Amino acid sequence: MSAVGAGRKGRRRDLADVGLRSWAIIVYVFLFLPILVIVVYSFNNGRAMITWNGVGLNGYRTGLTDPTIRDAVKTSIVAAVGTALIATILGSFAGIALARRKGKWTILFLALVFLILVTPEIVEAIALLLWYVRLGGPFGPHTPIPGISYGMVRLWVGHSLFATAVVTLIVRARLQGLDETLEEAAADLYATPARRFRQVTLPLMLPAVLAGALLAFSFSLDDTIISSFVSVAGASPWPVYVFSAVRNALRPEVASVSTLLLMLTLIAIASVALVLRRSGQSSKDVAKTMTVGG
Amino acid sequence: MALPAWVWFLSFFTLPVLWIVYYSFGYKPDIYHPIATDKLSLHSYHEAFSRAFVHVFSQTLQISIIGTTLCLLIGFPFAYWLATRVSPRWRGVLLGLVVVPFFVNFLVRTVGWLILLSPAGPVSSLLQRWGVRSEPLHLLQTRGAVQLGVVYNYLALMILPLFVTLDRLDPAMREASKDLGANRAKTFRQITLPLAAPGIVAGLLLVFIPLTGDYITALVLGGAKGNMAGVVVASQFTVAQDWALGAAQAVILIAMIMGTVAVFGLFALAIRTIVRASRRITLPPVAEEAV
Amino acid sequence: MSDSDEGLKILASVESAQRISRRAFMGGSVVAAFSGSILLSACSTSTGGAASSGAASPTLEDQLEFFHWAQYDDPKLFKKFTNELGPVTHIDTYTSNENAITKLVAAQGSSGYDIVVPTGPYIPQMVANNLLQELDLSKIPNFQNLETVFTNQPWDPGNKHSVCKDWGTVGWIVDKSQISTPINTWKDFINVAMTEASGNVSLLDAQNEVMGVYFWANGIDWTTTNPADLDAYEAWTLQMAPHVKAFESYPGYQFAQLGYGLSHVWNGDARQGFNSFKDPSRYAWGLGSPNTELWMDNWTIVQGAPHPEAAYAFINFILDPKNSLQDLAFHGYNTGITGVKEAAQAAGIPYLDMIFFDPAQLATMHAQEINSAFDREVQIFLNMKNAAGA
Repeated sequence: MSAVGAGRKGRRRDLADVGLRSWAIIVYVFLFLPILVIVVYSFNNGRAMITWNGVGLNGYRTGLTDPTIRDAVKTSIVAAVGTALIATILGSFAGIALARRKGKWTILFLALVFLILVTPEIVEAIALLLWYVRLGGPFGPHTPIPGISYGMVRLWVGHSLFATAVVTLIVRARLQGLDETLEEAAADLYATPARRFRQVTLPLMLPAVLAGALLAFSFSLDDTIISSFVSVAGASPWPVYVFSAVRNALRPEVASVSTLLLMLTLIAIASVALVLRRSGQSSKDVAKTMTVGG
Repeated sequence: MALPAWVWFLSFFTLPVLWIVYYSFGYKPDIYHPIATDKLSLHSYHEAFSRAFVHVFSQTLQISIIGTTLCLLIGFPFAYWLATRVSPRWRGVLLGLVVVPFFVNFLVRTVGWLILLSPAGPVSSLLQRWGVRSEPLHLLQTRGAVQLGVVYNYLALMILPLFVTLDRLDPAMREASKDLGANRAKTFRQITLPLAAPGIVAGLLLVFIPLTGDYITALVLGGAKGNMAGVVVASQFTVAQDWALGAAQAVILIAMIMGTVAVFGLFALAIRTIVRASRRITLPPVAEEAV
Repeated sequence: MSDSDEGLKILASVESAQRISRRAFMGGSVVAAFSGSILLSACSTSTGGAASSGAASPTLEDQLEFFHWAQYDDPKLFKKFTNELGPVTHIDTYTSNENAITKLVAAQGSSGYDIVVPTGPYIPQMVANNLLQELDLSKIPNFQNLETVFTNQPWDPGNKHSVCKDWGTVGWIVDKSQISTPINTWKDFINVAMTEASGNVSLLDAQNEVMGVYFWANGIDWTTTNPADLDAYEAWTLQMAPHVKAFESYPGYQFAQLGYGLSHVWNGDARQGFNSFKDPSRYAWGLGSPNTELWMDNWTIVQGAPHPEAAYAFINFILDPKNSLQDLAFHGYNTGITGVKEAAQAAGIPYLDMIFFDPAQLATMHAQEINSAFDREVQIFLNMKNAAGA
């Protein structure tokens, strides 16, 4: 860690530096402590996760072979990919419209987005469950979409609401921070709207879209409350499994599978970062856009 | 262009939530049926306010306000360090490190604390081995554990927006302030803090809102003391099967969150007006509004 | 009747009509009528595809979905079932009967589950809400392995909707190194919980059993609907609440790790705790007294189950004495199979005194019933949890 050297600014400066740096180290320890514990306990050979009973790979063996766990992880990943797609498409268009076609509706739409953000998940979860049953159709078992379980449709829709709201705000913020002149210039040069979008607007908003997609993906992966209400047999995602394990019988395989998932995510993120670097996009840009849409 | 999102939000958010609001005026007819709406009344609201869970709601608010404040107090110096003391080359990596723990499912992270805090866990047994304590440490299943858990689970949502605004802050501004004779405290108060304001507001909102609705962290770490408003609402649906009462509580919960955000917003506006009025030189307005 | 049943009925009538005409062509109208009725009865519980092969050897579906209590069966048995009979099993879990019923009610036949395992007294409510299928016991030949005392229960006469999975009772675990006062009755339990063990007690996260503690301690029938009794119970919950550290459904297996002094616990979960304790002599198990609970969990098939034949096959599989014994060794509850106690003794399974009870103990155990006081009881319990969080 190469903090800027101080020295010439006197002792108080030094003290502040040391203080800040120690604080940062404490924060990092705080952030990583429980993760470290999970990784260590994933090698616990005992029957209960929190009862240490010797080092071994039992947790990994069970985690990788148990069909319920495997299906739960698979469900989670499919749900997260679908959510990211829906939220990115809907949210990007809404974001563009908000930034570029302002009107009386903008305030109304923003109010709705804000409402979605402040509504506690538990309320959305209950509302959606009752609504799905009422709607039936693709949300019920009687008129299935071929190849897709209705449980998955329920998860996609449920997870996509919050995620779409977030993507909308990020894309809007990104486009608002950028000049419209480029798009106008393209229009002056007789570029068709489609072409203008593809060649000018899309590249401009790409970091925001990527950031939004990542956020939507991770939101869906983490969601417990909505999932546990709307999920159905055979489409029950990983957090719901973990929640039930926490409340009933916590076994080491939960830690083992989580450790594996962490490794996979890190590899995926590293490769995305590499691709971005190759294509000239700064990954910090994406990380920053994720938060305030700069 | 926003049409698909309109349709999506209206049909899967507005209508279902309105449906819940409608249910909140209904009642539970008998033990076999969760809801009836042939007679509408405010009965469920009346019942909601007459029970111990008004108390639970105010406690939840307390936990979430303390939690949000702690996140700010912990997150600000950290983000400040990251944005001003770390060379740009390392900033991306160190920021990434903040996010890494959040790639572990949030329940599992919380379980990490469950193990750490448990009376037979590593912390407790180390303290006993070193003779610091003679008895096991009873940290788990306390209000403190809940507070710690929520701060941990939402800290990153505070650090990220703070970092982004502080990172944008031009070091030259602080230098200039110093050159003009302002001391460090004054520079911080008059330059850094106002410019970081949008990040602070964004961070406060990003932490406060989900924290108030979260009940899972509290259930895992709090035992009987982890009874948050969210779980009270949920158990009316999952245990008591009284959808009218549950719906009324849900409406109250939303109102509570919106009310707090509104009060906070007015407060922030007031402070800004006072600060602006008291400052002689008006700084350029903050470029962007917060998400 | 749900839509899917309508569909099945139509399908069945078309199919049987075809058969009938063919048989009629062959000349035996009596035979035709007879086979038609068999087909109809088969179709009422099986899918259209299975119907054509007849009820005797139905084709099993390739999946089986459980809505189940967590960690309630030996995972090896599910693997064995898949290996022997084919269907792959998935398990989603719930934490209380109320919880399970809510989800099934809200899904209105769209839950996608095949088997759910409710506790006896909840079954009439589930039947009234059309959540359970009527069972065809002829598809469960191993049903006869059950001791007759565990069949034909008051909540389901004639086992029309349910078959006994196992039964058990409720009591407590004490850490003797923390609690010196001996606990012999529910009254002692309450006294110690409010004094020596205060702040270090866990109660079951189940309203019936918490209510039981109070009524059993005070010699009141726990199926009471008397408002005065319920008022007294409510007052007691508020006194008790501040002493409670957690409401936990399965405190047994992590009793030592969470450092409880006293836990309200199911007998099978207590036994799992004793199996894991490093120093079992430090702890004591107590069976509720002078009165306590007798509960029975039951295999049932969900209305609208997508894989009913696999569900029947599983219920039959688990009632096999050998499988039943293996399951008992895992969960620690009496499965009610004739001769299972002797088999367990022969197999040397530990802590049998926490699984099997003598007639004198059995006489003190009573079943709960869901009556008009139920809604009030649930709200009292939820309010107790709110008070405990204060």
